[in-house]
Amino acid sequence: MSAIDLRGITKRYPPREPGLPPLELLRGVDLMVGRGEFVAVEGQSGSGKSTLLHLLGGLDRDFGGAARVLGCDVRAVTDAELAALRHTQIGFVFQSFNLLPALTALENVLLPDFFGDGVPDAERRAREALDRVGLSDKAGARPAALSGGERQRVAIARALLARPPLLLADEPTGNLDASTGEGVIDLFRQLHREGMTLLIVTHEARVSHAATRILVLREGVLRADGAEAMETE
Amino acid sequence: MRTGKLIRLARGNLVRELGALAVSAGGVALGTGCLVFFLALGTGLQGVVNEVFPVSTREVEVVVPQVALGSLLGEQKIDDATVAKLRAVRGVAAAYPKMQLRIPAVSRYNGLFFGREVRMGLEVVATGLMPELVGPDARMPFEDPGEGQPIPVVGNRRLLELYNKVFAPQRNLPRLTDSMLIGFQIPLELGRSFVTSRTLPNPQETSMQLVGFSERATLAGVSMPLAAIQRINRKYGADADTYSSVLVRAQSADDVTDVAAGVRKLGLEIDDAERRYAVQIGAAVELVTLALSLLAALITGLAAVNTMQAFYASVRERTREIGILRAVGATRGDVAAVVLAEAAATGLAGGVVGVLLARIAAALLDRLARTGLPDFPFKPPTFFSFHAEHVALGVGVALLAALLGALIPARAAARLDPAKALTES
Repeated sequence: MSAIDLRGITKRYPPREPGLPPLELLRGVDLMVGRGEFVAVEGQSGSGKSTLLHLLGGLDRDFGGAARVLGCDVRAVTDAELAALRHTQIGFVFQSFNLLPALTALENVLLPDFFGDGVPDAERRAREALDRVGLSDKAGARPAALSGGERQRVAIARALLARPPLLLADEPTGNLDASTGEGVIDLFRQLHREGMTLLIVTHEARVSHAATRILVLREGVLRADGAEAMETE
Repeated sequence: MRTGKLIRLARGNLVRELGALAVSAGGVALGTGCLVFFLALGTGLQGVVNEVFPVSTREVEVVVPQVALGSLLGEQKIDDATVAKLRAVRGVAAAYPKMQLRIPAVSRYNGLFFGREVRMGLEVVATGLMPELVGPDARMPFEDPGEGQPIPVVGNRRLLELYNKVFAPQRNLPRLTDSMLIGFQIPLELGRSFVTSRTLPNPQETSMQLVGFSERATLAGVSMPLAAIQRINRKYGADADTYSSVLVRAQSADDVTDVAAGVRKLGLEIDDAERRYAVQIGAAVELVTLALSLLAALITGLAAVNTMQAFYASVRERTREIGILRAVGATRGDVAAVVLAEAAATGLAGGVVGVLLARIAAALLDRLARTGLPDFPFKPPTFFSFHAEHVALGVGVALLAALLGALIPARAAARLDPAKALTES
């Protein structure tokens, strides 16, 4: 069973001004990602990369076509089932870190444990995750006291708390300097080696080069790196 | 989502938005504070009314109708047979006949009265009560001692209050307490009146001994044992067989209506003047309390609107954070629960502060009353009566107001499109 199976995905936004045609961001995207793959999706700003990621994570269900993620039809399931999928099966990493400023680094990592049935042995796992990203000494710090790189590593630790089989990352190195970004890329490589499926949306070549497959989103269609449109595998 | 985790998550947001939420909590505190304050004031004043007009819910005073055919013909009277009939009425637990002293009597005091030289004379009005009715209120025996012995009397506590607050200050007399007066003897001249024409032949000098204070005692005068009154009335040829009234005690408050009907069937009526006063004043107090409570409810309602605005602003500011919560597995219900938990904490804080404010305001007002108001009769040590129910109601209303105020913002937060929320700048 594939980790991601998208067929003919379309996504339209209403026109920004009356009289203009609707904005068609995705125009029949087909994508199949096997379990354990590390896929990078490149594309220019505004090409629909983040939109694609939101569809995959079930954060946006207003689209055309069929989408199965880890065997789950994201349009057919209930809101609660989708929340459970995000809770236990999918880890999200965002460009702007998206940490809750009121919580400490450890509490931010523990955030998935607040919902659903929680995460087994959450506190130990959270400390392990922080240790893995090299931030075990910053567990009590709030996001405001952390550097950009540290915040992103906390966000990655949070994504890893429930040990999900799929990690979706949206420009994870976009706000990081070169050396910090390299550390994050190394971490992704390591997760891939451990068998995690990764789909990373990026416009940075250094991130793409770490992936085993590179796709480009251009004019609403997903194509293999610099080649023809992707065919359904 | 478990409660402990919900509280932890809400706590962080509360600390961060302390300023804005403090304003909301302040509004809620003001509303609930007013509510608790007015309720406690209403209850306190009702207590004063009950003290001034102590009314039993299961007792009625039965009298001969003032205008009755039987009474005009001399047939309508309360004698032992009537009392027996009253005792037989369905729902009656007991009947205690009362009789007035039907001859004139005076008390002349000339001497030391608790350290003051006093010279005074009073017409004595006395009512005879059955000793069982006075019960333990009499600290010394309350029975007819027989000819030539001091007659035991009980006074009404309200009369003592009026003496202490009005009579004593005006005449520069000492203020008295129960314990000072118990056992005190006052001269009594039976058959004598300060109105010469009313004085009977062979007036007799004796004395009264105060044996206690009771709410059963007549307010206008003193109360003696019924047997003593009958003996004196008989001795001077006055009517010693018909009673002035009968206090009828029903088996329960629910039986009072049936008892009243039975009393009317016997051609008698119920003297409920005091009850009517109590009910009327009590109703007035209740009405004012209700009006003030409605005002407090209005303030609480406005606080709820303010809470709604504050939480709307909070949800707008935290749109992205709500997107994060959804991304890590929060359901719509979880998001709503987080907002409502914050509102509950705000309401709870507002409620507790409101109750404290009410208590502080009450204490200040009581202090002001103690020092600023004259010492009038029945002036209570406090005008407020705080009950646990008031506190529970205040905190409950505060909680409800905050939750109602946050309901729509919580729903809006739950309905946020997570994808849009995450891209919110």
